[in-house]
Amino acid sequence: MSEVESRTPLGMDREVSRRNFLKTAAWTGATFTAMGIGGFGVAVRRAEAQGEYKTYEGLGDAAILQFAYQLELLEGTFYAEGVKAGLFKDAFLEQIVAIRDHEMAHADAIATTLGQLGADVPATPQFTFPNGTFGNAATFLELAATFEPVGIGAYQGAAPALQSKDILAAAISIHNAECQHRCAINILNLITPPNNLAFEEALPLQKVQEAVKPFGITG
Amino acid sequence: MENHTINVPGAQEFARPRTRRDFFKSLAVAGAGATAASMLLSRQASAKTDDVDIANFALTLEYLEADFYAMALDADVLSGDALGVVENLADHEAQHVTALTDLLHSVGATPVEKPTFTFPTDAFSSQASILDLAATFEPVGVGAYLGAAPLISSPDILAAAGSIAGIEGEHVVALNWLLRVVPYANEAFPKAMTLDEVSAAVAPFMGGKMLSTGGPKLSPTEAHRLNQAYRLGKL
Repeated sequence: MSEVESRTPLGMDREVSRRNFLKTAAWTGATFTAMGIGGFGVAVRRAEAQGEYKTYEGLGDAAILQFAYQLELLEGTFYAEGVKAGLFKDAFLEQIVAIRDHEMAHADAIATTLGQLGADVPATPQFTFPNGTFGNAATFLELAATFEPVGIGAYQGAAPALQSKDILAAAISIHNAECQHRCAINILNLITPPNNLAFEEALPLQKVQEAVKPFGITG
Repeated sequence: MENHTINVPGAQEFARPRTRRDFFKSLAVAGAGATAASMLLSRQASAKTDDVDIANFALTLEYLEADFYAMALDADVLSGDALGVVENLADHEAQHVTALTDLLHSVGATPVEKPTFTFPTDAFSSQASILDLAATFEPVGVGAYLGAAPLISSPDILAAAGSIAGIEGEHVVALNWLLRVVPYANEAFPKAMTLDEVSAAVAPFMGGKMLSTGGPKLSPTEAHRLNQAYRLGKL
């Protein structure tokens, strides 16, 4: 039984979980290569460097926020499970707890904004994680190191497509928190120096959707 | 404010590269001129005069940080993890200077000259003093970009600003780590700063001059007071 299947807070359907696991296992291997520490190759980045924000245009602020809300819940749930699994202690635990709280605070803020916009707050997706994700700190942190650039890339890509300047101000602040998380996860992964990027990378919508689909976000 | 449309040869091109070598490749792309740029990217972006002011403002901050870290390395008092972190800080800020300078050139604007900066006499005397001052610079960089972002009109310039802002946020975390601040990443919503707050925070390093052109000149005493207030979170 996987770590996740035994956890009721995730509301797991066992059959769904098993099916997703197969997809996820394949996906995870690919992701570690494509989006891990090595990052995209220069040629790929060059090809994708043309107006990521355009892929978010036309969605509208509410739809962008609804997607962001689910990303935050995914991250928040992931870190919450990491804390519950007892994988960390001392400074490492404090950092994971802080990140969990940040992601949940982001989700709350986005839900409030959606309410102000008169838009629906999406139901919490049924999240699934690869088998063994919460089995040891190294596996967990490896996945964390792939999550954070997805969140960063999503906010950075979407920001110029946002209509409301107030929502943009909030989104760019949340983006910054995600960047700070990326560096903190580097520290927990014992990468030195942890500040190892000169420029953060935006991701087009489709890349973000592909990256989070195996975890249960289909919106 | 005049609103003019300008060919931007890919703000993202400047925001993407991770290394100096990549960056020079991007420069080569940009340097190929308007024809090549439009062939490669065939798109236009509008850059308002406001955007130019903001980019120049950001450039001034990047100059300050780049100078500071270059001097910190020259002081030869850093070692171990601190040396590695500051080497990257110096490299990143220098890349940001180059990226912003080129971004400004690409929209037909003139980048500001690098100001003459002054640092406290003991700023480079020890690793601790360097890290302490660095830890006051970096949140200003974050705050400046977060405050400016909603004022930017061009999506390409905004994309570049977001890319750089996030790195400044990472710098805050790396410095927290060196300074044993736990947790290293400790803000759910990093704070935006106003132009005046940023100007006040950096005025002490600019001979008391406010950043915005035509702004009031501060006395050194007043500049010191503002800086202390900033450092204590009382601005």
